[in-house]
Amino acid sequence: MFEKLHSNAGLIFPLIVAGAALAFSGALDPYLAFVATSWVIFGLLGLSLDVIWGRGGFLSLAQTAFYGLGGYLGAVIAINFAPSLGLSLLWALPSAAVFGALIAAALGYLIFFSRMGELQSTILSYTFTLLLWSVTQTFKIDIGAAVIGGDNGLSNIPGIILGVGEEAKKLKPNAAFACVVFISAVVYFFTRWLMRSNFGKIVDCIRIDIEKTELLGYDIRKFQVLNFAYSGAVAGLAGALFALWANYLNPSIFSVQEALLVPIYVLVGGLGTLAGPFLGALIIGALSFWLGGGAAGGQTTLILGAVLILLVMFLHNGFLGALDNLWKRYLPDPNDAARDAGAVKIDTEVLDQILSEAAEQAGPAKNLSTDEAFKSFGGVIPVNKVSREFKPGKPYSLIGPNGAGKSSFLKTCVGIYRPEGGTILLDNDDITRAQIFDRVHKGMGVKNQKPQVFGENTVFENLWIAAFARTKDRAAADETATRILNMLGMEAQKAVQASALSHGQQQWLDIGMVLCLAPRVVLLDEPAAGMTNEETRELSLLVRTLAKHTTVVVVEHDMEFVRTLEGHVTVLHQGNLFAEGDIDTLRANDAVLDIYLGRGEHV
Amino acid sequence: MELDFLATVLLSSLSSASILLIATLGLAVVYGLMGVINLAHGEFLMVGAYSALTATQIGLPYPLAIPFAVAMTMLIGATVELLIIRKLYGRIFDTMLATWGLGMVFNQAAVLIFGTVSPGIGMPQWNFQIGDYSLAFYPIAMIFVAAVMLAFVYFLMTHTVYGMKARASIQEPQMAQAIGIDSSRVNTMTFAIGCGLAGFAGAILLPIIPATPSMGLFFAVKGFLTVVVAGPVALTGSAITALGLGGGASVTASFMTSVVGDVFFFLMTALLLWLYPLGISANWRRKL
Amino acid sequence: MKNLLGTVSLVSAMTLTSTAALAEVKVGAIFDLTGGLNIYGIQQDNALDLAIASVNAAGGVNGEEVVVVGYDAQSELSKYTQFAQTAVLRDGIAAMFAGLTSSSREAIRPIFREANIPYFYSSLYEGGACDKQTFVTGSSASQQLSVLMEWAVENYGPRIYIMAPDYNFGTISGHWVHEYAKQLGAEVVGEDYLALSVTDYAPTIQKIQASNPDLVVALPVGAAQTGFLEQFAAAGLKDSIGVVSTNYGSGNQQVVVSPQAGEGLVSAMGYFPSVESDANAEFLAAWEEAYGTDTPVVAGAVDVWNAVHLWAAAANKAGTTDADEVIAALESGLTFEAPNGTVTLEPGSHHLRQDIYIARGDANNGFEIIATFEDSEPTYENEVCNLIDNPDAAEHFTPEG
Repeated sequence: MFEKLHSNAGLIFPLIVAGAALAFSGALDPYLAFVATSWVIFGLLGLSLDVIWGRGGFLSLAQTAFYGLGGYLGAVIAINFAPSLGLSLLWALPSAAVFGALIAAALGYLIFFSRMGELQSTILSYTFTLLLWSVTQTFKIDIGAAVIGGDNGLSNIPGIILGVGEEAKKLKPNAAFACVVFISAVVYFFTRWLMRSNFGKIVDCIRIDIEKTELLGYDIRKFQVLNFAYSGAVAGLAGALFALWANYLNPSIFSVQEALLVPIYVLVGGLGTLAGPFLGALIIGALSFWLGGGAAGGQTTLILGAVLILLVMFLHNGFLGALDNLWKRYLPDPNDAARDAGAVKIDTEVLDQILSEAAEQAGPAKNLSTDEAFKSFGGVIPVNKVSREFKPGKPYSLIGPNGAGKSSFLKTCVGIYRPEGGTILLDNDDITRAQIFDRVHKGMGVKNQKPQVFGENTVFENLWIAAFARTKDRAAADETATRILNMLGMEAQKAVQASALSHGQQQWLDIGMVLCLAPRVVLLDEPAAGMTNEETRELSLLVRTLAKHTTVVVVEHDMEFVRTLEGHVTVLHQGNLFAEGDIDTLRANDAVLDIYLGRGEHV
Repeated sequence: MELDFLATVLLSSLSSASILLIATLGLAVVYGLMGVINLAHGEFLMVGAYSALTATQIGLPYPLAIPFAVAMTMLIGATVELLIIRKLYGRIFDTMLATWGLGMVFNQAAVLIFGTVSPGIGMPQWNFQIGDYSLAFYPIAMIFVAAVMLAFVYFLMTHTVYGMKARASIQEPQMAQAIGIDSSRVNTMTFAIGCGLAGFAGAILLPIIPATPSMGLFFAVKGFLTVVVAGPVALTGSAITALGLGGGASVTASFMTSVVGDVFFFLMTALLLWLYPLGISANWRRKL
Repeated sequence: MKNLLGTVSLVSAMTLTSTAALAEVKVGAIFDLTGGLNIYGIQQDNALDLAIASVNAAGGVNGEEVVVVGYDAQSELSKYTQFAQTAVLRDGIAAMFAGLTSSSREAIRPIFREANIPYFYSSLYEGGACDKQTFVTGSSASQQLSVLMEWAVENYGPRIYIMAPDYNFGTISGHWVHEYAKQLGAEVVGEDYLALSVTDYAPTIQKIQASNPDLVVALPVGAAQTGFLEQFAAAGLKDSIGVVSTNYGSGNQQVVVSPQAGEGLVSAMGYFPSVESDANAEFLAAWEEAYGTDTPVVAGAVDVWNAVHLWAAAANKAGTTDADEVIAALESGLTFEAPNGTVTLEPGSHHLRQDIYIARGDANNGFEIIATFEDSEPTYENEVCNLIDNPDAAEHFTPEG
């Protein structure tokens, strides 16, 4: 009962609060209703940041830019139409939302398609706001009845008008409050639904591990831009509401102070909670209203600054986050199941069946080949003109001492490193310049050295999101994920958070996610690391079975494991192909021993 | 366009770029060696300016007021590092927000302590003539100051025990730990030096930019952009970026208007970030 | 955390208890007591308290005590809107005294228009505001520039360079300089409109030298102005090129500027502390007693003082604080013996006819008045705005059209 309440808290409590606000809106003091309206609007602005920052993982300082631009456009349209036709909301809100979304999409394209660093992205978004701030100071234009007068701003914006026609009056403060609460509630519940949909799940994965999400084949750039556009739409909508509330706009909406106030709302309430920004805006609004009234000698900025420092240091999850942690203590821990996990037992028959079906759906195995692939970092050349072809049948092992360039070679094939020379082919498809997700689409499945799982998500969700990347169908993804889950023997840990698993279990889960993709070429980087002897044996079985159906390349340190694979072994040294053959021949090769032991002329 | 005009434009643009570099260097050091963006950097600059001003008011000559300002800001910087920054290692955006809050506190504290009216200290009334144009000496001297500052930081990082430790901590953290470098002590020192450089900037620029509680804001904003565009190679990268962005904006302002100069600065920042998503120095071999 | 929640409940508690009314007249005040603009805001607020105290000492308004409901706008525009609405919806004020920047006035002017409450804006500004409920007691750009330009061209020469911030105050002032230059047969040889963020004036100083003017009209605001003046003086240009301004000294500039850069600068405003009159002596004595002598009194403070006294006089004349009747009384050609000379409220334009002083900075960070233009009219506002004939006008006129 309480668990159910907990998992639906984001639905139930906001419903109660919104309902109460609507029910009592008529009884509020008009001035409080008026002021509180602005807090709700700021909450909506905070929500737009929470979508892109708390969920998308990108701290955007351009939210006030979308907010201001949306507000200006919505206001200009409302000024021209509302006096004669009424219905100011109808004119202002949709146009502002669309405008905000378009601007955000354009900025997002710049940021995400160039794959900008996260600090650089944040700073660029800040630059955008500052640019608007300096430009709008002198921007003067008359658009119909609307006069945008530089720093003197845009006056005569109509209030919230619901009626039709010339006589329609603007809403009184209490009704306006109710109206804004209603709109914000609609936006909130829609956002909540969106963030729980497939789209939202993928956005969550991007925040948790952007590289892994792309390795599952999702075009992360597209999702990031779309999410940013949605947050821009919400910000634009909030801007239009603000314009109708304030009846006045001015370039100070783009100021540094405004831009940095939004993260405070989000942090105070709770990052990523969606409802948090509303709570944050309420608290900050009430605080600054009270202090601004003179009770604390007008030291608002001093207190706000101190509050911000304390919040970041001691209450990083904000109020709702802290409440949530407190509540969770009294609920049974779903991660308990992680402790009773048994050993993984690979059933080759089941695996064979899964892999044959995958081949039916995804086509036959593909060859992977490199021709003179070259990658350098400054003076270090980890991949020096490597030419090699990998075919299905038996697993290929890449071995070599530390720094031989094994992982770099793998990363170059995957596209995590961009090669500076040579070509990489998947069958006859030149993928040298292809994006990572594109290679995955074409059939590449990759497991990096460290296990990459979405720690905040459950084991099943991890597998599901991988399966969904290929199937694009909920039911099919459910089925695939369930089969892999059963094969890994992790049914009992289905609802456990991936971060609670042991290192070895995370490796298995990661491998399971790769299997969900039904890859035609599988690249595994040290899959046996952190596994027990028994697990390593099972893994060897899995790799050998896998190699019957697809091309498999394994980078490995563990010679014993390599031996059990009974496959082809390639020795890399200083970025070059050094020796080839089966493991026993190589073991007898003095040169190979030399480079491993760091002796002799080959070093 | 006459030659003397071009010469003055060149010289004063170089001086503008140098002023930007002086104001930015502390930020670059902290970012380069700790990976921390100090949003209160502009306020440290302000603290430096007020410290120097207060020192001159109690009778210290201006050249002695500058080291006083540096000492003050280093002390405050070290305290801030111990109390706040240290708790937030590895959380770059949290550090940004916390230091922003700190900036707000400093700003309002300055209003409370110094009020809104503080007398300036005046610029040395030296000037020189290039053709028909007369230039104030002091801003041009900032070119020299910036060069000395850069050389000083370079020396500090390459020829002192602290510098070696600091570079080791950021470039080879595990190795540094293994050979017994106490990275948190090094970080305290780095942050204090960064703040000290801000304090120095505030003090040395005091004759050009009068002390007001919000004096650091615009410098800080341009400073952040400079450092972020520069990327991981903080020192050389920032010097080049400051020269390009600051100098370019100043030349633009000379031939057009300062608004166009500002727009140039912001658009160039966006363009450079588009071309170099991880900063211009992301693929450089040098590390300082 | 309890404190924060406590705040919320306290705010709601304030709501419930604030409706009780006493036998007093409430007036509202919104000024920037914190943030970047509080250089002006604090003095404006001080002047308001002083003026209200003086009105109350003289028997209040129609025998009732005047009480101030004050708000700190924190140098944020959205706070102006918020507090203006609060004052209207909750406080039941009879008059409002608020605002420093033009944008703050434009943000709240429509609110008082709708609520029909007399609103007093007390700051020098670019001019042109026209609204039945709005009264301006500061001087407008054309009012100051008309006398200043005449004086400057006569004393320095006909070649003028304009250096102003790139927003309405700067660009509209620039327009008036062009206009008066034409009338005086002078020539604008160059102009530069600067972004608000500029701290480096080297490019501007080069452009000034390149156009070889006799005088520079320097209008940057706040710290930007002092920065420019320092660099201008250090370049050795101060002795060969005159510098005049309509806002130098409106805040703290003359104190911040070093004597070598500030001495000899000429400014034209509606008030300087060195005005010699009994009214000013009395006013300054009261000010010093209340607030000390740390900071020189700015024109904006005197403008607030005048606004309060004009409102009180009008309310006493009308015998009520009813808005329509007070506005009618304000439009009856009221005059007041102000610290800055006799001021007259123009019935049509709601602006003040007042003395404009031209003063020169001295070596002690002060001003010496060198010319007084008595009873200067707000010519432009009188020309475009007549609220007697056209009471429904609500516009912000700008000369460019």
